[in-house]
Amino acid sequence: MRFNTFRFLVKEGVRSLRQNLFMSAASILVLVSCLLITGCAYLVYENVEHAFDWAYQQNVVVAYAKDDVTGERATAMKTELEALDNVAQVEYISKEALLERYKDEFGELLEDLEADNPLQDAFVISFEDLGLFDKTVSSVKTVEGVDKVDYDQALSQTLVKVRRVVLTVGVWVIALLLIVSLFIIANTIKLTVYSRRREISIMRSVGATPWFVRFPFMVEGIILGSAAGVVSYGLLFGIYEVIRQNFTFSSSLELIPFVAVWWQLLLGFLVGGMITGVLGSTVSIGRYLKENTD
Amino acid sequence: MIEFRDVHKTYETGNEALKGIDITIEDGEFVFIVGASGAGKSTFLKLIMREEVATSGEVVVSNFKLSKLKKRQIPYLRRAMGIVFQDFRLIDTMTVFDNVAFAMRVVGASHREIRRRVPYVLGLVGLQDKSKNFPPELSGGEQQRVGLARALVNNPSLIIADEPTGNIDPELSYEIMELLTEINRRGTTVLVVTHDHELVKSFGRRVIQIQQGQVVSDSKEVPHEV
Repeated sequence: MRFNTFRFLVKEGVRSLRQNLFMSAASILVLVSCLLITGCAYLVYENVEHAFDWAYQQNVVVAYAKDDVTGERATAMKTELEALDNVAQVEYISKEALLERYKDEFGELLEDLEADNPLQDAFVISFEDLGLFDKTVSSVKTVEGVDKVDYDQALSQTLVKVRRVVLTVGVWVIALLLIVSLFIIANTIKLTVYSRRREISIMRSVGATPWFVRFPFMVEGIILGSAAGVVSYGLLFGIYEVIRQNFTFSSSLELIPFVAVWWQLLLGFLVGGMITGVLGSTVSIGRYLKENTD
Repeated sequence: MIEFRDVHKTYETGNEALKGIDITIEDGEFVFIVGASGAGKSTFLKLIMREEVATSGEVVVSNFKLSKLKKRQIPYLRRAMGIVFQDFRLIDTMTVFDNVAFAMRVVGASHREIRRRVPYVLGLVGLQDKSKNFPPELSGGEQQRVGLARALVNNPSLIIADEPTGNIDPELSYEIMELLTEINRRGTTVLVVTHDHELVKSFGRRVIQIQQGQVVSDSKEVPHEV
C-alpha cells in the first residue's frame, strides 16, 4: 500500500470518529468500565497470589529432633530433610539458639535454664506445594531422629481452596467482559457504518476493494479501543493507589504497589482494547458488506 | 463494448425484470436507454455494474464476462466505468475537490496525480472556481457536474448516467447533456438512462426503449425516419 493511501485511510477513520463523536464517547465509556472491572479482577488476583506467597512463608512445619540427637546427626538430618520431595527450605535451630530467641521475648523468666535446657533442636521446614502437604508431612516423620512434627493443616487447605476459587472466578469474569466489550465495539461501528453507508456505496461504485472499505473502520476500532485502554489504565492506577495508601489490612501483609504490575496492566489494557476494537469493527463491517453484496 | 445475449433476470421475489435482452453497444457510442419506471432500466444498469447477476444469458462489459466474474474482480470492472447518479451521491462533508479526488484515492492514485488531474477535470465541467466549496453550497446542476467530474476522473472507457437530469432544472439539464456529448466526442462510450423523451429527441442519438423487460425499439436497427 502506498503511504499516501494509508494516510488517507487513517484520516478517513479519524473523520468518521469525529462525525460520530457522541457514540464514540459512549462506547469508550462503556469499554472503560469493562476494562476497569477486568483490571480490578486482575489486581485482586495478583494480591491473592501475593498473600498466598506470604502465607507460604508463614505456614511452615516444625520438626523437633529427639533428645539424643547430637550436633553431627542434626546436620545430617538437615540434609536428609532437604532432599525430600516438595521441601523448599530447611532451617536448623539448635535448642541453645531457640532458648536465646525465647529469652529475647520473655526475658528474665527464662534465666538459668541454660544448664538444663528443656527445649529440643528444631527444623523449620517450608514446602513448595501446599497441595501435597499431607504426603510431605508423613515423609518428614520417617526421617530418623524426628520426634514430633507441628503443623496447621486446616490453614494450608483453606489457602489452596481460596486460590483455586479466585483463579476460576477471575478467568470467567475477564472472559465475560471481553465478550461484552466486543459487542459494544461492534455496535458502535455498526452505527458508524450505517451513517456512512452512502460513502460506502460511492466507494464501491468507483471500484474500491472490500479491504479498502474496511480499513477506516478498523482504524476507528483501534482508536476507540486504545483510547479506552489508556483512560481505564489511568483511572485504575489512581483508584488503586488511593485504596492502597489509605487502608491497611494487617501490618505484616500489605497490598502490592501498582508499580509492581504497571507494565502488565498497560500492555494488557492496550492490547486488549485494540484487539476488541479491531475484532468488533471487522465483525460489523463484514456483516454489513455481506448483507449488501452484489 | 457492452453486449447482452438473451439475458433474463428474475428476482427472488418472482419479479421477471428482464425477459430476453439482446443488445450490442460498440465502443465510442452514445446511447439513450428509455422506458417507464419499472420497465427494467434499473435492472439493466445493475447487470452492467454487476450489482446483480443475470439469471440466464451472458453479459459482457469491456471484455469482462460477467457470469464468470469472481467477486474479488468486481472492483476492477467498476474501475473501467464511471457512474453518474440521479441523486449525485456526493459526500457533503468533503469539498468539491475531495469528492472528485476520492475516486482517485480509492484506486490508489498518488498525491501528484491527484493534484494534476482533479483541477483539470473540474475545468472540463466548468467548476474550477468551486473546488473549495462543499456540495450543499452548490446548485443541483453544479452538484451533478461534480458527480460527472468524479465519474470522469479515472478516465474510464464507459460512462453510465442513471437519470442524470432527474433532479435538475430543465435548462440546466441541457448543460449536463452537452457535457456528456463532449465527453463522448473524446471517445468515451456514454450510456444515459432517462425517461425524459424531450431531451432524448433533441439529441438525435441511438435510443433503446425497454418495456416490460424487453427491447421494444432500437433506433440503430430501425433506420431513422426523416
